[in-house]
Amino acid sequence: MARKIVKYLLLTIVIGLLAYKSVFIIKLSELQTIEPKAFDAPAFVQQLWENKLPALLNSALTLDTLQAALKVSPAQTFDSHFNSMSIGNVRYGLLKVTGKVLSVNEDDVEVLFGSKDNQHTVKIATEYVYGNALRDASRLVNIKDFVNTTDLNKISEELNKKVRTKVLPAFKGTVQKGDSVVCTGAIELNQAHYSLDDLEIIPVQCKIIQH
Amino acid sequence: MIAIQKNNTLNLARLQSLIALVVLCIIIAVLSDKFLTMDNGWNVLRQISVNICISVGMTLIVLTAGIDLSVGSVLALCGAITAGLLKNGIKLPSLDLFIGFTLLGSLLAGIIAGGALGLFNGFVITKFKVPPFVSTLAMLTIARGLTMLWTQGHPISNLGAPFSMIGAGWLLGIPVPVWIAGVVVLLAIFITRQTRLGRYIYAIGGNENAAILSGISINKVKLIVYGIAGALAAVGGIMVTSRLDSAQPNAGTGYELDAIAAVVIGGTSLSGGKGSIGGTVMGAVIIGVLNNGLVLLNVSPFWQQVVKGAVILIAVIIDKGGKKK
Repeated sequence: MARKIVKYLLLTIVIGLLAYKSVFIIKLSELQTIEPKAFDAPAFVQQLWENKLPALLNSALTLDTLQAALKVSPAQTFDSHFNSMSIGNVRYGLLKVTGKVLSVNEDDVEVLFGSKDNQHTVKIATEYVYGNALRDASRLVNIKDFVNTTDLNKISEELNKKVRTKVLPAFKGTVQKGDSVVCTGAIELNQAHYSLDDLEIIPVQCKIIQH
Repeated sequence: MIAIQKNNTLNLARLQSLIALVVLCIIIAVLSDKFLTMDNGWNVLRQISVNICISVGMTLIVLTAGIDLSVGSVLALCGAITAGLLKNGIKLPSLDLFIGFTLLGSLLAGIIAGGALGLFNGFVITKFKVPPFVSTLAMLTIARGLTMLWTQGHPISNLGAPFSMIGAGWLLGIPVPVWIAGVVVLLAIFITRQTRLGRYIYAIGGNENAAILSGISINKVKLIVYGIAGALAAVGGIMVTSRLDSAQPNAGTGYELDAIAAVVIGGTSLSGGKGSIGGTVMGAVIIGVLNNGLVLLNVSPFWQQVVKGAVILIAVIIDKGGKKK
């Protein structure tokens, strides 16, 4: 009997000690003052969208300047005008295109642009806007400022949401075949095997200049 | 005379696994110069540590003629519970309370959760006489669903350097997971060889009716065994989560098959009563080396699955052949 009591007493002490070393309890209101605030992605993106992105859009490359730069030095072009936070050869940059709408499709708007002897088509994504193209192309986000990738991904999510809610509804609702449009947005190029054919643009600014 | 013959058969069975491992190592070493390097050796040992922990639990279950298909999902859930409690604790806004968990607390909580899930498996099997295959299959989906609910489908990352030590750290020149797996194996060998529980496990697997008539409380033994297997799956989950520094909601998918494969290749009979922890460790090493070799030899992941399946099949056929003799 005494042995049993000692056994259970020891067991209780061990469990108590483990519990004491395992858990701590504080007031939630105290914790909120200590805890660093969670990253507010919508506010961060709002700031980028309103104050920093417009200036960048004005300095976006046109097709001619991009082609010329790639002819002179592809490496320098990718260094100066393209960016990516991931490993690999895919890079993102900002491009401004002015052209004529060839077709309005379910997922995109196809635009013919460039001079007569240097014509290209680009697809303006109007349905599936996802990925990190805009975040990386903007070069406004420094990976070193973030402690985790979740926050970085949230920036892309918010930027893409802005495109879906602020840019696309007005453009999609009015654009028609034959319209002249000017559009600035993010494009993706593979720096090892780049081609300016079949470009797709994630639009940040789209205007119909002539119906 | 018969006893000597039996002993020789058992030794031959153990030798078969060893010979298979040596042949496998020689083939891979000839085909890849990266195989026989220290770095790769530690890498293989680190990788198989998780499978060893799960396989040891699976061996105990298989020895009782049972099976546990839920270990992969339990691994994921317990890893997520550990990570979630360590990182976020429990917030009780209605009471204005925050319950925080230290590293020790979150590890204990994860292991206790694994043990509880295992006990639940055992309870369903013994109380309602549901076949282990069916009840653990149900637990497989329940635990996976609970993992998704707990994590909301997102990884729980950045768990801190002390936690990362468990899966990625070194102790006395040996990776920490290898130490953990070593302790688990030694404890399991002790239980199976030196304790009454161990003898009961073999007795139940050998002949359940005889075990009942001998006065063994088979329900209690099965409950303990499934509980241990659940707790060991949780240990595996903690190691995986620590190594990745992130609890992934889909972690551990298919791990139950690797564990069963290790048990079978190690010579444990799926009908129970025969087998050893040492054999399972050998089986886990063979699977680990095979996985590593196939990656080093640049074999397509699709072919890797085919090869692994074929190896398990051959092991079972050899095992059956040996028994007929």
